[in-house]
Amino acid sequence: MASKSSLLKVILLGDGGVGKSSLMNRYVTNKFDTHLFHTIGVEFLNKDLEVDGHMVTMQIWDTAGQERFRSLRTPFYRGSDCCLLTFSVDDSQSFLNLANWKKEFIYYADVKEPDSFPFVVLGNKLDVIERQVSTEEAQQWCRDNGNHPYFETSAKDATNVAAAFEEAVRRVLAAEDRADHLIPTDTVNLHRKPRSSTSCC
Amino acid sequence: MAAPAATKIIFEQEGIFIHSITAGGEDQESLVSGFLRVVQKDGEICVEYKPLEDAVDPSNMLCAGKDSSSVVEWTQCPRDRPQRAVEQQQNYETEWDMVNTVSFKKKPYTNGEGVSNHVHERSKWAFFFNLAELKSIRVKREGWSYLVFCLKDDTTLPALHFHQGSSDAFLDCLRRYVLLSESPGDVTSLIVCSHSKDLSQSFENLLDDATFGLVQKLRKDPYTTTLGGFAKVTNYIFDAFRWQELEDQQQQQRRPAEEVADPLNEVIPGLEINQQEEPGFEVITRIDLGRRPDVERRDPVSAEVWAKYMDPEGGLQNVPYLKNIIFKGGLCHALRKEAWKFLLGYFPWDSTRDERKNLQKRKTDEYFRMKLQWKSVSEEQEKRNSRLRDNRSLIEKDVNRTDRTNKFYEGPDNPGLILLHDILMTYCMYDFDLGYVQGMNDLLSPILYVMENEVDAFWCFVSYMDQMHQNFEEQMQGMKTQLIQLSTLLRLLDLSFWNYLGMRTLRTSSSWRFSCFA
Repeated sequence: MASKSSLLKVILLGDGGVGKSSLMNRYVTNKFDTHLFHTIGVEFLNKDLEVDGHMVTMQIWDTAGQERFRSLRTPFYRGSDCCLLTFSVDDSQSFLNLANWKKEFIYYADVKEPDSFPFVVLGNKLDVIERQVSTEEAQQWCRDNGNHPYFETSAKDATNVAAAFEEAVRRVLAAEDRADHLIPTDTVNLHRKPRSSTSCC
Repeated sequence: MAAPAATKIIFEQEGIFIHSITAGGEDQESLVSGFLRVVQKDGEICVEYKPLEDAVDPSNMLCAGKDSSSVVEWTQCPRDRPQRAVEQQQNYETEWDMVNTVSFKKKPYTNGEGVSNHVHERSKWAFFFNLAELKSIRVKREGWSYLVFCLKDDTTLPALHFHQGSSDAFLDCLRRYVLLSESPGDVTSLIVCSHSKDLSQSFENLLDDATFGLVQKLRKDPYTTTLGGFAKVTNYIFDAFRWQELEDQQQQQRRPAEEVADPLNEVIPGLEINQQEEPGFEVITRIDLGRRPDVERRDPVSAEVWAKYMDPEGGLQNVPYLKNIIFKGGLCHALRKEAWKFLLGYFPWDSTRDERKNLQKRKTDEYFRMKLQWKSVSEEQEKRNSRLRDNRSLIEKDVNRTDRTNKFYEGPDNPGLILLHDILMTYCMYDFDLGYVQGMNDLLSPILYVMENEVDAFWCFVSYMDQMHQNFEEQMQGMKTQLIQLSTLLRLLDLSFWNYLGMRTLRTSSSWRFSCFA
């Protein structure tokens, strides 16, 4: 079934300095800057792509990671179709904070069914030799927290970046297909009745 | 009593219901059916709701004399407040009657009309108010839509249920006369602002000599009249404050806006007195700034000029003028190292050379004492100090990406980076509550570049941060204030663009929508 909306909003969350902006820039412009300016508030870029025959425009929202900027970024969570939870494999704290990011997202994005909402987990900076988070640890966390797909990426040498974003699109489309299957969009629900409408006329 | 001839119906919609609780049953709702009208009455736009059965009975018209435009018959209406307002009103009247185009004269309903005491069971649901009295409209949907009017005196009228048809046509009609903007704190609430219509009307009155309008008044007493005109601007500013308070409240609640029960009702009471005491204020919806004045950049202030303003002891003279020429022309780079210490607030302008020398000595000791504090924390200690650890981690990440294309910071292992790092770490010791916040690196970078000295750069940064503190605090009040100011200015200068920005981001709950624009 064709996607209802060709615009998908994908949001990148994670601690400051784990490489959110670099991942976005690598994916959209295929460039990498070692000393990229830190993000204040939010920024976004669009990218058109085709996934399994679906043409979509992915709108990637990049956010400021520092705790302090919460009130600048949270208003933009609403309406997201997918959330990319990002940490850096050389920073164990950023990995430990994944749970908080997920919680913050669900709360402010007002996600109705958190269990079925598509999250993708990205362990960035694979190019750094001194790892603090092992692949097994990360995979375990993803299994325990809702079976999220996990990608180890490097924005610096472009490892797995496109694959991760494309997986995000696939998850959104799959979720939409499921929803379409449950409630066909072009029918009217006859059972929905306004409350106390019987007494009005 | 109102002369029906003076009333012109602009809009009418039938089949609008009030759900009333009947006297007998607890949960039993009974429905009052009626019609809603927008009428023009003596040149003013009013909203009227009447239950159907009483529609033909003129004795139930709940509006009084022609200028008592805001009489509201509703049991929740506080009785004593309008009474007071009227007394104040009398005093204003003589001064303001010619200035105000929209009259807010409130006559207490109980004065002589006596209708309220004998109202028919159904007619008590009727209401009538001047559109200028309307503060906000809550729009809710529950299968059908219903509207709740909240007036400026905080009276909340009973909800009107649009069981037949939607409320859109009615709201569209209102939009011809007032501006309905979505409340930043509550998407279901529309805040009512006077429209340019009022403004244009006031110009009409201005030109109409026969009414002994403003022109006449101006001739007699130009000073008071002009000030009176300016004073109208306050209502506009109220709006800006209202925003701010909403913001504050939202911040405190730390909940999505939709969950804040009714921020307007909780926030506005503090403002209502002003609004009642100063009736007839208008919202200025557009300002033409005219041609932009030509500005010429002056030459930068040189060391010679600077020296001329220094007395023999080293204190600076005629500081306001000096600041002015720096503002208009900037500084020669060579002078920046000295002048910035004054401009940023590290050195007092009137200090002597000796005093400054002592100050620097004292401050150097103080700096290294604080620097030693974090330097001497062992790795083991840091493991148990998450605040310090987090600050250090953020600083290291950010220093690594601060102005790296500038010669002073470029290349690997640049000593400038170590200085940036050390000064930011020491600042965490200086202001532990604030700690390190992203963006501080960008403020410090040019200061360090100019000072070329760790201690001077630190203390200049400290003084500068005193001014910038608000931008970095948890509540980010500084940034919010600036965004609200931007919003206020934008609304004044380009209302349609302001509306456009507001319309386009209905889903973001606060004025942060402007951050994209800013």
